[in-house]
Amino acid sequence: MNQFGDTERNNGPTAFAMRIMISDGPLGVSWQHASETCEFLGDVFALRHAKDGADYTDARHSIIYLVNELLENAIKFRVPGSISVDCSLEGGNFELTVSNDTAPAVAGSFQTLIKEIISRDPGELLIERIEANAVDENSSGSGLGLLTLMNDYGARLGWDFRSSTSGSAVTLSTHAALTLN
Amino acid sequence: MEIKTGEYNVWNEGSIIHYEGTLRLSGTDAYQPILDLMQKVLADKPENIVLDLTQLEFLNSSGINLLAKFTIELRKHPDLPVKVLGSTKIPWQSKSLPNLQKLHKGVELVIV
Repeated sequence: MNQFGDTERNNGPTAFAMRIMISDGPLGVSWQHASETCEFLGDVFALRHAKDGADYTDARHSIIYLVNELLENAIKFRVPGSISVDCSLEGGNFELTVSNDTAPAVAGSFQTLIKEIISRDPGELLIERIEANAVDENSSGSGLGLLTLMNDYGARLGWDFRSSTSGSAVTLSTHAALTLN
Repeated sequence: MEIKTGEYNVWNEGSIIHYEGTLRLSGTDAYQPILDLMQKVLADKPENIVLDLTQLEFLNSSGINLLAKFTIELRKHPDLPVKVLGSTKIPWQSKSLPNLQKLHKGVELVIV
């Protein structure tokens, strides 16, 4: 197994937690599922968080943004198969793990991108990448979503790659943690 | 010019470009019609340009990249005043819009 970044999980077994599985499907349908999933999780976890008098609007938005970005990546880069979404909340610490299978070549190039992302200051690299994308017509802006999460939202991100239990694919789990206001 | 869907609307009134709703498109290609609209406004050689985001509840990172790309294009017009309007009620705007000023010092960012 290859691990990068911050994969440590702090929320315990008594944390408020939820798992959602998103089935395989065409891109347009999956995109809609991602949208509904992030809105639902944003509502549920922000309500829970706001019970302690915290800021519902900010928490809801941050959760939606985080879940949406990681689901967009999972949908774009998965091989056919489901995506699992695990969320938990304890004492204002929101943790998310998104897991899906991906092709080995995709996993390889993603690891190269991750190594660059975690070795640099995210704010500096974000601006650098935006500048590079602006001059490259064909660029899809890869990595910008992750850098936005790290720089603008203070998300702590980690990744692990392991052999899939089914076939020759690689199972990628992306871990994220946010301190909610 | 206007682009209207059930989830978002983008339109211009002269050199003011308005954005409304939730923009969660899948990438550069999907955002192209919106970029085309923005570039058309710029091509008309306006005296100033305003991006009014105060009704844009959500913008994914591909959409933020679109704003960034357009901002970089605006640098080629150093004498063109640029104003970006945001709302404090919409959290992504206070978090991500300051990046536009890092790309183009001439951007006046107003988040109220």
